[in-house]
Amino acid sequence: MDSQVKKKLNMQKLLAPLALIILYVFFSIFGNNFFSVDTLKNILESSYYIGFMAFGVTFVIITGGIDLSIGTVMMCSALIGAYVFKQLNWPLTIALFVTVGVGAMFGLVNGLLIAKLELPPFIATLGTMMMSQGFGSIITKVQSQTWPTATAEIGSWFKKVFIRNTFYIGQTKFSGFPVGAFWLLAFFIIGALLLHNTKFGRYTFAIGSNEEAARLSGINVSKWKVLVYTVCGIFAGLGGIFYAAAYTTITPGTGNGQELNAIAGVVIGGTSMAGGSGTMVGTLIGIFIMSVLKNGLSACGLQAPWQTFFTGAVVIGAVLLDIQRTKAANRVKKS
Amino acid sequence: MKKLVAVLLTLALVLSMFACAAPAETEETATAEEATEEVATVETTEEAAETTDEPIYIPVMAKGFQHQFWQAVKTGAEAAAADYGVEIYFDGPASETDIDDQVNMIKTELAKNPKAIALAALSTEAVTEILEECAEKGIPVIGFDSGVPDDQTGAVVATASTNNENAAAIAAEKFGENETLVAKMQAATPENPVVIGCLSQDAVSASVTGRTTGFVNKMKEIAEQYQPGLVSVEGHTKWESIVDNPAIIIQVEVSATTEATSLQTSANALLATPGIAAVFCSNEGAVVGFLAATSDGEDLAADGKYADLVVAGFDAGTAQKNAIRNGWFYGSVTQDPYQIGYKAVELAYEAAMGEEVSDVDTGAQWYDSTNIDDPDIALLVYD
Repeated sequence: MDSQVKKKLNMQKLLAPLALIILYVFFSIFGNNFFSVDTLKNILESSYYIGFMAFGVTFVIITGGIDLSIGTVMMCSALIGAYVFKQLNWPLTIALFVTVGVGAMFGLVNGLLIAKLELPPFIATLGTMMMSQGFGSIITKVQSQTWPTATAEIGSWFKKVFIRNTFYIGQTKFSGFPVGAFWLLAFFIIGALLLHNTKFGRYTFAIGSNEEAARLSGINVSKWKVLVYTVCGIFAGLGGIFYAAAYTTITPGTGNGQELNAIAGVVIGGTSMAGGSGTMVGTLIGIFIMSVLKNGLSACGLQAPWQTFFTGAVVIGAVLLDIQRTKAANRVKKS
Repeated sequence: MKKLVAVLLTLALVLSMFACAAPAETEETATAEEATEEVATVETTEEAAETTDEPIYIPVMAKGFQHQFWQAVKTGAEAAAADYGVEIYFDGPASETDIDDQVNMIKTELAKNPKAIALAALSTEAVTEILEECAEKGIPVIGFDSGVPDDQTGAVVATASTNNENAAAIAAEKFGENETLVAKMQAATPENPVVIGCLSQDAVSASVTGRTTGFVNKMKEIAEQYQPGLVSVEGHTKWESIVDNPAIIIQVEVSATTEATSLQTSANALLATPGIAAVFCSNEGAVVGFLAATSDGEDLAADGKYADLVVAGFDAGTAQKNAIRNGWFYGSVTQDPYQIGYKAVELAYEAAMGEEVSDVDTGAQWYDSTNIDDPDIALLVYD
């Protein structure tokens, strides 16, 4: 009996990857030229920056918190990075560090507001969401900023390193190879190790399961919370780099709503908004489900409003699944 | 086991929604279009295109759907699609700041291997790689509306657009013909300077910046005739040329975002400027924001609090046409959106057939309460 139940639970864990595969096959059959290398690249490239944000916010959501500021922080980081590179003529490598630094700074502010000043995460990050949006516009004087293109005189390596590159292995030419996928994979592994194999990760889960119990068992909850939000901010800054690599031009005053894409990806991946449970691999699958859906629906000729509509439906479906899963798990515990 | 069945059913439900969506897609989009479409013939042409064997497929990537301007472009594009028997897919991001959405849209369309692409890019830098890919694959790109300014890849073979600088200069010229405004400019002193405002929704897109530049330059030239050396351009670093103790100030007001509320805030700032005598709104969005700041334009009427203000707009739209008909606006400059859409698809078709194509200026006109209902103007000013 026990092993049977365990099997069932594993089956349910497979549902998210299964849904991803079914969606992909479905759109390959019905979409206009969906099953192609080009489309696969598009799916990958449009998920990089959401992926980074989602990795970061996974930690926050597991602690039972929320970070609404990641979308605008991402844009703010990318704006300021481009600003120091283009307007102040700082070297591109420094600009990249500035980009991540701005993200880390806002993450730290979030952490301090929430852990030390005990603001509710929703309110604190709502505030920093607006502040980061304004901050980016103020620094750049509401001018859109551009990162170097692949043919730029200075910094043409930016796109080649972070998004796609053409190179030769022996005689074979790899045209427009999506190198960004390796970065996403690398940071996925870092994120997964951090979450599942370190003290930091264990405390993240502990805080999310029962904050009071964590405190009583001697965990310095506020210190680790500050760290969690800072990590989230760093990931948002990294997202800024990949957003810049994919879209080059950063417009001040944008970024609102991007955080919800990332949070939706996390939720689709089975992380509970109540905190205490979740996986990094779930988040990775969640963002790919959204990306496949987006690209697939437009390959079927359905315009943007339809994509938003169906993404919403999937979020609801995923949470329904999650509720079923939790119920099943609770039954196992009781028996 | 029961639970698993329930779970699988939930999944099946979600998935079946997609399954239902795909076959129903053509009907649903068709009805949606029916509702928004002004020209009834479009429906039949779409169906005709679908039944033809492998028609030439041309995506038309606009900068948005927000303004009625784009609906008029779409009407023109669909008319050309019907005339040339090509299949078009007209799409654009929800907002004109959604550069990432547009990039994704174009990438998706490119994956469908189109014969040509018509494109109004939100940002040239953001689409550079895509254009390189087009150049590599030999897919001709036709710019329309603001097109793809400063394209270096050679993918853009021709552009169907309004020359925005020339078009906006028309408004400045008309300001120079306005007797009240000329009298004010002549009487202006450094102690009581006259302010001429220019309201723009951004300093990013080529069309709006082009118009702002065209207006500012021409207005400065005209103002210099009355107050040589005392004309100052202020408000935004991009156009700034500040003169000490100016008698005429050209104030460029750029709003924080392209949303109407933001433009309204900027319009209020202009209206509160002492000595404000005239305002040029550089697109439909700016006009809508300006009207919102003036009680839907009623403050500009003969007995309103801004009765003396000389206002010119750009583009058209119901609210702007109403303001012009009532004489609240001095007049407006209009592009020819129908021609922009039509020429874009025409050029794309010709380029896809391997013909030589070159840029087309789709023209601009001044219209005011006296000629707004003339047949050749009425055709250009969409609702």
